[in-house]
Amino acid sequence: MDFEPNEEQRAIAEAVRGLLAQHAGPARAIELDRQRAYDDALADALRAAGFLGAELSGETGFLEAALVVEAVAKAGGVVSAGAETLVAAGVVGRSLAGPLALAVAGDTSPIRFGSCARTLLLDAGERARLVAVDPSWCDPVRSNFMLPLGRVRVPESAGETLAPGSGATLRRWWRLALAIECLGTLEGALDVTVEYVKRRRQFGRAIGSFQAIQHRLAQCAVQVEATRWLCYEAAARGAPEEASATAAAYASDTAHHVFRETHQLTGAMGYTREHDLHVFSMRLEALRVELGGTSAHRRAIARARWAAAS
Amino acid sequence: MEFEWADDDARFRQALRDFLAEALPPDWEEISRHGPGSDAQSAFSRGFCARLAERGWLTQSWPAEYGGADATPWRHAILSEEMWRCGEPRGSQYMNVNWIGPTLMKYGSEEQKRLHLDRISRGDVLWCQGFSEPEAGSDLVALRTLALRDGDDYVVNGSKIWTSYVNGAEYCFLLVRTDPESRRHKGISVLLAPMDAPGVEVREVPAVVGERYFHELFFRDARIPASTRLGPEGEGWAVVSYALAYERVGAMRYARAGLTLDALAEAARQRGRLDDPAVQEKLGAARAAVEASRLLSYRVIDLRARGSEPTADTNIARVAGTICENAVSDLALEIFGADALEYGSFAESYFRLAMTAGVAVGTTEINLNLIASRFLDLPRE
Repeated sequence: MDFEPNEEQRAIAEAVRGLLAQHAGPARAIELDRQRAYDDALADALRAAGFLGAELSGETGFLEAALVVEAVAKAGGVVSAGAETLVAAGVVGRSLAGPLALAVAGDTSPIRFGSCARTLLLDAGERARLVAVDPSWCDPVRSNFMLPLGRVRVPESAGETLAPGSGATLRRWWRLALAIECLGTLEGALDVTVEYVKRRRQFGRAIGSFQAIQHRLAQCAVQVEATRWLCYEAAARGAPEEASATAAAYASDTAHHVFRETHQLTGAMGYTREHDLHVFSMRLEALRVELGGTSAHRRAIARARWAAAS
Repeated sequence: MEFEWADDDARFRQALRDFLAEALPPDWEEISRHGPGSDAQSAFSRGFCARLAERGWLTQSWPAEYGGADATPWRHAILSEEMWRCGEPRGSQYMNVNWIGPTLMKYGSEEQKRLHLDRISRGDVLWCQGFSEPEAGSDLVALRTLALRDGDDYVVNGSKIWTSYVNGAEYCFLLVRTDPESRRHKGISVLLAPMDAPGVEVREVPAVVGERYFHELFFRDARIPASTRLGPEGEGWAVVSYALAYERVGAMRYARAGLTLDALAEAARQRGRLDDPAVQEKLGAARAAVEASRLLSYRVIDLRARGSEPTADTNIARVAGTICENAVSDLALEIFGADALEYGSFAESYFRLAMTAGVAVGTTEINLNLIASRFLDLPRE
């Protein structure tokens, strides 16, 4: 047991943060959202540095890959880092052409990166399917949730069906990646809110000095820290079914809680496009409904731990 | 970062489980349902701790200099987990090992160390703590119990409340004000008070959380030898802060919660409710809360293993621990329904045990205050 990053982990985190400081950040996310665009430049920069794609976890480990995915989310990056770096590594063991979107077969709801995906991993129950996407299948969806969303109409026969059991493998890696993306996004939302309540003065004092506000943010911090360790442990152990479902259930529940709390505490300013909160908060709500949302992740824990029937 | 147990740690856990399987009597489950302060559990803890001591496990976390084995904080956490998991057969003696002993090592005189550490190590002495007072709960530094020096003694007047584990306790880790003119953190001292001193009276405060759970201690001109003072006169706040830093994550209560939750899932299955998606969802949510509590407690152990000063991570772990216990005990009532209303039943016993989680050892609100100031760096005014 050891909860401190080792030298390699520290170096990776520092290097990716440096890169993200140059290429990502809330201002860039807001600009990209205006254009409803994917961040190809950031994806290229990350890939060139070895921080995007399945090879990362092969060279270091899943936990190191998770730290990179977390950092991208915390910087508001508009790239499919979780899918490309963790899910592709866990499911097919090699990099897939990005943007990489994840979807449930037969579900035609909007998906993250569905507007621009080049590759799709489909949860088709027992097996997963790997599909090279024809751009004509993608139908961008207008959305306020700060991510390029779209519907992808996949022809029945398209793609390659993977081995038996690959469906379950995809779901556990998807849950882990989702949880880690929640983690980075949660940190972003909480950080900007803590900064806001320290600066914002009313009644002659910083509103962050009021106990009513302190307790709510402290409660958020407890949940964000718990999300962190649930994610790191599940990643280090290679996304076991129960641990991944646990990380996803806890992260998505926290995502919704922190969405509500950060918007309450930043008042009207938090709703504006000039304040950074919405880059993170709106994404939290998008993440928390993915793959069935909190309820589905919780039931997945019960199935994995107590063999409850679905 | 590394989230697997070292092989020898895993072997230690297994050895403990083997020992427990043999050392706990067939009616242990029944005994443990009345709570660690009950007559039966207090009595059991003496023989049990002596057996732990024989194996060198009771105070393994102590330095070799004091008869311990310099076991790592991780090894100590495994012991604590396994003990809480089965209902804490050490009774109140976990306090002796976790914080009374270490505080004595840091602040005790040679004579105090000789007198107390040896008995604690043998597992045959019970302690209680005299902290809270009717007018000093969360605001502990408002304490008023007065100890005035008279020759070789202190004459103590005042009262303590919410004291647990008084059953058979020989000593009280007692917080008093030795300077009547002092206020707040200043002028406080710690006395290692013998409970049989004349002028000390114990009265149970009957409570729904268990038998012999809460007591009031009354001190009426009680003469406590000055030689029992721990640390310099008037410097007791530093002593108690040191002790509390150890105490706050001492109890690995999520271990009990996790085991209880597994039993609740099994009960749900037997009642034909495990396939109900609503029940599955609640079980899953409670499981996530247990795991959150486990990992946040591990974070504190990790910091301690590196020799870090206590941080707000301890408060974070405490808040998560309360959420975890509440989630599991809510489900206990939900799954067992009205069967959970019977005193001493499985569900009721856990519900009762968990009921004090948000208040004991510092309320959730105090922990949130400390997280806000120390972890989030939010301003005071």
